[in-house]
Amino acid sequence: MSRYIATRAIRGANALVTEAEYMLAKALAEKGPDTPVAFPNTAYYLPVIYGMTGIAVQKLGDLKPVLRHARSLLHPLPAPRHWTPYLGETLDCGMATLLAAEAIEAIRFVYGLQPEPMPGFRLAGGTAFTSPDAGDGREATDGHLNGPIDDIQLRSWGIQLVDGRMPGFAAIVGCAKSNEVAVEIVRQLQRRNILTFLSGNVNGRSIIHQLIEEGVELGYDTYTVPFGTDTISAIYALGFATRSALTFGGLKPGQAREILLYNRERVFAFVLALGEVDDLKYAAAAGAINFGFPVIADTVIPEILPTGITRYEHVVSMPWNEIEGKDDREKAERLVQKCIEVRGVKVKVVDVPVPVPYGSAFEGEVVRKADMRVEFGGKYSRAFEYLRMVDMDEVVDGKVELVGPDFDHIPPQGHMDMGIVVEVAGRQMQKDFEPVLERQIHYFINGASGVQHIGQRDIAWIRISKAAADKGFRLEHLGKILHARFKNDFGAIVDKVQVTIYTDPEPFHYWLAKAREAYDYRNRRLADLTDEKVEEFYSCTLCQSFAPNHVCIVSPERLGLCGAYNWLDCKASFSINPTGPNQPIKLGRLLDPVKGYWEGTNEYARIGSHGAVEKVAMYSIMENPMTACGCFECIVMLIPEANGVMVVSREDPSMTPAGMTFSTLAGIAGGGLQTPGVMGVGKYYLLSPKFIAADGGFKRVVWMSSFLKETMVAELKAVAEREGDPDLIERIADERYVTTVDELLVWLEEHNHPALTMPPIF
Amino acid sequence: MPVEILKETWTGAVQIVTLGATPAEGGTRGRTVTVGGERTLPFLHFEAPMPHRPALAVEIKDRRPDDWSPVLLRAWGDVVDDPGAWAQAAAAAGADLILLALSLTDADGRPTTPAAAVAAVRKVLSACSLPLAVFGPGQADADNELLVAVAEATKGERLLLGICEDKNYRTIVATALANGHLVNARTPMDVNLAKQLNILITDMGMPLDRIIMDPTTGAVGYGFEYGYSVMERLRLAALQGDRMTQLPMLVTPGFEAWKTKEAKVGNGVPAAWGDWEARAINWETLTALGLLEAGADILVLRHPESVRRLRLAIEGLMKG
Amino acid sequence: MALTGIQIYKLLPQTNCKDCGFPTCLAFAMKLAAKQVELSACPHVSESAKAQLAESAAPPVRLVTVRSDGAEVKVGNEVVLFRHEKTFYNRPGLIVRVGDDLAPSALEAKVAAADAYRVTYVGIDLGIDGFAVESVKGDPAAFAAAVQAVRRHSRKPLVLTAPSASVLGAGLEMLGAGETPLLGVATADNWRDMAGLAQKAKSPLIVRGNTLDELATLTGQIKDMGVEDMVLDPAVRDFAGHLTLSTLIRRLALKKNFRPLGYPLIAFPAAAGDPAVELMLAAQAILKYAGFVVIDHFAPEAVYPLLVLRQNIYTDPQKPIQVQPGLYEINNPKPEDPVLVTTNFSITYFSVANEVEGSGLPAWLVVADAEGMSVLTAWAAGKFDAERIAKDVKRFGVADRVSRRRLVIPGHVAVLSGELEGELPDWEIRVGPREAVDLPRYMREALMN
Repeated sequence: MSRYIATRAIRGANALVTEAEYMLAKALAEKGPDTPVAFPNTAYYLPVIYGMTGIAVQKLGDLKPVLRHARSLLHPLPAPRHWTPYLGETLDCGMATLLAAEAIEAIRFVYGLQPEPMPGFRLAGGTAFTSPDAGDGREATDGHLNGPIDDIQLRSWGIQLVDGRMPGFAAIVGCAKSNEVAVEIVRQLQRRNILTFLSGNVNGRSIIHQLIEEGVELGYDTYTVPFGTDTISAIYALGFATRSALTFGGLKPGQAREILLYNRERVFAFVLALGEVDDLKYAAAAGAINFGFPVIADTVIPEILPTGITRYEHVVSMPWNEIEGKDDREKAERLVQKCIEVRGVKVKVVDVPVPVPYGSAFEGEVVRKADMRVEFGGKYSRAFEYLRMVDMDEVVDGKVELVGPDFDHIPPQGHMDMGIVVEVAGRQMQKDFEPVLERQIHYFINGASGVQHIGQRDIAWIRISKAAADKGFRLEHLGKILHARFKNDFGAIVDKVQVTIYTDPEPFHYWLAKAREAYDYRNRRLADLTDEKVEEFYSCTLCQSFAPNHVCIVSPERLGLCGAYNWLDCKASFSINPTGPNQPIKLGRLLDPVKGYWEGTNEYARIGSHGAVEKVAMYSIMENPMTACGCFECIVMLIPEANGVMVVSREDPSMTPAGMTFSTLAGIAGGGLQTPGVMGVGKYYLLSPKFIAADGGFKRVVWMSSFLKETMVAELKAVAEREGDPDLIERIADERYVTTVDELLVWLEEHNHPALTMPPIF
Repeated sequence: MPVEILKETWTGAVQIVTLGATPAEGGTRGRTVTVGGERTLPFLHFEAPMPHRPALAVEIKDRRPDDWSPVLLRAWGDVVDDPGAWAQAAAAAGADLILLALSLTDADGRPTTPAAAVAAVRKVLSACSLPLAVFGPGQADADNELLVAVAEATKGERLLLGICEDKNYRTIVATALANGHLVNARTPMDVNLAKQLNILITDMGMPLDRIIMDPTTGAVGYGFEYGYSVMERLRLAALQGDRMTQLPMLVTPGFEAWKTKEAKVGNGVPAAWGDWEARAINWETLTALGLLEAGADILVLRHPESVRRLRLAIEGLMKG
Repeated sequence: MALTGIQIYKLLPQTNCKDCGFPTCLAFAMKLAAKQVELSACPHVSESAKAQLAESAAPPVRLVTVRSDGAEVKVGNEVVLFRHEKTFYNRPGLIVRVGDDLAPSALEAKVAAADAYRVTYVGIDLGIDGFAVESVKGDPAAFAAAVQAVRRHSRKPLVLTAPSASVLGAGLEMLGAGETPLLGVATADNWRDMAGLAQKAKSPLIVRGNTLDELATLTGQIKDMGVEDMVLDPAVRDFAGHLTLSTLIRRLALKKNFRPLGYPLIAFPAAAGDPAVELMLAAQAILKYAGFVVIDHFAPEAVYPLLVLRQNIYTDPQKPIQVQPGLYEINNPKPEDPVLVTTNFSITYFSVANEVEGSGLPAWLVVADAEGMSVLTAWAAGKFDAERIAKDVKRFGVADRVSRRRLVIPGHVAVLSGELEGELPDWEIRVGPREAVDLPRYMREALMN
């Protein structure tokens, strides 16, 4: 915590509490302690006071204990020579400021000074100050600013904030650099559906004046509400926040801590301080930080970057003059973007902005050569796609740039080289998610009518139909699609997305090389990612609707038995959907490194299987093998006579040496029951060094469907070499030569299979 | 030969949930309905008493339904033209609570307005003192628009609002939170999806004693066994202590049974199907009875005779 | 702790002789571990192995078979309390009761109607499984006459019940040599005679006890007389009583391997009197562990839902009910009406068929052979791809029935549209909604041109 900020906030708080005390004393003398005190049309009394202290202020006299409490929260200024932590003190002073500010506004109501008079001004919808049902409310909206939000509006907006239709609210305090800037900032907020509250001034000039001068309509109807032209009126924003917690959080008055936490976790609000920040603004900002609302200033002020009370930074300075941008609009956009980032507001893109129909119904469309306008990749050209994670500051959200020419100069049914580079940034983004997200490009692009996407990485192949091109579909639209879809579908981990499309040969080749480096890095990373190197595996309960007691445990070296989910996929899935089917399993104590028992996996197996399974051995088929649902790619089964196991794939309908076909075996292997000697697996698990490692590993495989041999030639060869027997695959029988145990034994003898001389498997 | 009475001991219990609020509790209902609290599988009284008997809800509509079987319309008669009268008839037929299902459109095909929905709810509330559940037409936008208006107009009644689904629950939960109502969390016959939705709803701050879960079901012959097993599994998980499955269950055998061909169609069906009306009612009865045995806490029925029969079954099952 | 398949395998001869009916000793061992076969199926197992395998040697609920000349009902062999844990294997026999006090013409009419009863559900023919002939009068001649009357109209397996062995014997004599009806009822008063008769007739015997203690004592005594096949009647007729005792009996059998109660149950819901209550009690018996359900009132509108309920509950949760693949007509479609495609998973089929039927819009529905999986599952498993759909469209001769070759595929498999265009080049492929519930709207809005 900056000592500078602490000093100024504490000073501001002291001054405001003193002022409130003075005003109260005067009011008590002039009006008497029994004079009623209330904000209009609310059942929550003075809401911040009611929420934080539980005191239902109904008359002037009730304010006395409130201000006593505020005074007790004040702290002396930090000593100039001592650099101690001031966070607690500053937050307390912030809270004192809020209580005092609300008391002051309440007293002003008694004197008729609130809502703040503004002759000639008309609200575009606002709080009714008589009764909500009285008349047409016209008089109620004339000649004054809005003051506090009433309960009816609170419920209407509150629901939208809670259900996500409204991403959050901005409390703007002060005065923008110019009227134009004020308008731009408000427009940027409105464009994102962010509710905006206005208050405060700099040297008497408020953003409210600026907007009125520019003819911007203010009021409920425009989601931009003018509270008052002084800083004190910003208290209404926190009254709104407090009431949200009481209304939608089911919280009770006086549950101060819970109310503050509720706001921090669920109300995506921030303070945007425009212009010079004085003591009172610092004090009020400290109050807002209590709610988890960060403060972003457009002037130079000390920053408080470490996170703690707020989700991310507490105070961020973004001096207007230093913001990049060619005009006020761009600067305003950057500033608002920063606010959104700092608070972690998630803004969705409603529609995918492309000139062709878009939706999953078009995913399967094929663009035939005859209908094609242009293609990228395939036989005659090259296309690649590369998604990488970069720092927040390196991405301009929504920016789509084409470097090089579009395809207009290409003859019909022609081709050209093209690279798509997607740069994403997000507070929750991890480098490991790059490939998971990159794979989505295929689905996202395919959703556009008249666009076909095949392949991935540097073998991507995209076709655009003549019809789509005629409707105006161009390369930039690929970027727009990706931006919209990544923001919408992966908003949990991606905050900003920027897409650059390269057709200019020089940068194209530069980025192709970079992409290949990344692919290579990812391949090595995957190979390098072993079970020993992680602290958690992931569960997968996607299939429990078929096999209620089955749980997949997915580790870096053992992918899900359906073959569809590896460890990284699960990890990403968990980040995107924390209540979903993939949950982390903390490994805890390692009980047996050979068979693969951990405390954590055993416990999870027990809970996840609802008690049906007590333990699971990650690396054995003979003892407590992992259960299976029914969607396994292969079945591994013990062949006792051969001292080994066979592997039959789903594609193989033939008889196996176990005397059963795949479908008969599936009845034994599936259903979530633990049957030692039988196991359903994903085919890539066969290649893992951990494949039935406890039972002797891959060398135990005596028979394997030829389908597997043929579809994984190179991979199996590598396994054979790893096992120290380059001819191992040739020694393994398959259905073309062997379908009974007797034939198998003859084969194994003839081919000198190592299983015959291995120790007994049981 | 002495036989050991093998008792299961469970660590978990089903959440107790009360629907409706009396004037003393901030509502206007003549009585409330409390469900849940089971500490063992349905009706195994020798292991643990069943503190609250399952409740029977009768489904009514805000106007004469377009697509209901003539058998049903005959059974109710003219009351289907007036939700208030219908609610009274349902109460007379033995309902413990009323479920008002709002129509998507009015009789002329215009979208139901929030004002019309509120008016229908008010009619029911003033005509009948039983606790009330109000379900939207089942389309996200319409549900949200109508239920928010209904929730605000009936603050404090502890209505059961539905339908919350994974794609659309936030608005309904928010308005239920703000207005002191309960929500019905519906998921498509899947234990994990049910849990997940319960987690999401409680994450919004909805207390567990204001959530009913609706695991959905199929009528006999139309996926009944899926719903049945999902309910058995949910209840077992609840008793084993899994907090997010410990909610009372509401199911809609009436809705499911009466949309089957067996219930809807009288002519041109095989003779082996037997008498239309009796068959239709049997279909609803057996679907409901099966779900009762699987752990249903609230059965939503449509035909008065089914209500009578299920009442007999529940009485029989509660005699421990 | 039960033995695993591998542990059992070690005790078997390991000759893969197949005499047990399984391809290998290991496969047999695994079935044994799952309590789905009896050890006695292996003729070569050693005595010492038998001793060690005693625990695993027999299913906890004995398999009981009731035979007539040409038909049989098998019940028991159940291994779980809840169907999702594995499956319920042997559907309970649905038996229609007739008493010898019925007027002969009424009796014969009832039997004839019930015997002839057939109803089709998802392509499966269902009917009742047999008749229970009860001696109400206690008169051997009347009973024998009733049995004869039943046999005049039905070849189905029988349950014969009489208060005494002598009366029962008179009825039994009316049956052919190959028949093993279910006899009863043995009680604490008559069990010796009853057991003697059952033993002689090599027939299963219903044993009734007023308490579980009494029941267990009786089965022990009767077993000692050489009767192995028994069916339990815990003598409760009300909802709560039946539920409690049938649950306890199944639990004891499964969890404690308690042999004296390790037999199938029989339920008599008719005792309630009210046919509506009888129906519900019968349904409860089907859900909760009965091996035989004896109903009094035979009416198609009651038997049909009971049979379907039984079919549902005894479906293997991992092998969903399938619908016969083919071209289905909904609401009398004309050649120009749209062709929809779905899979032959029963629930998928029903959802689609119900929605379209309910909408009143005519359509052709191609139910493709996706091995009984739902759309997404089948697609993921490669059982619902363009090639298969195209094959079935051709196989069912859809093109000959329609004038407009326009095929609507489920939205979930939109990805197949391109390939399908390749497979069915003269068809227009349209992508429909993802959920069946949105079909009517789609058909009204998107297909009306």
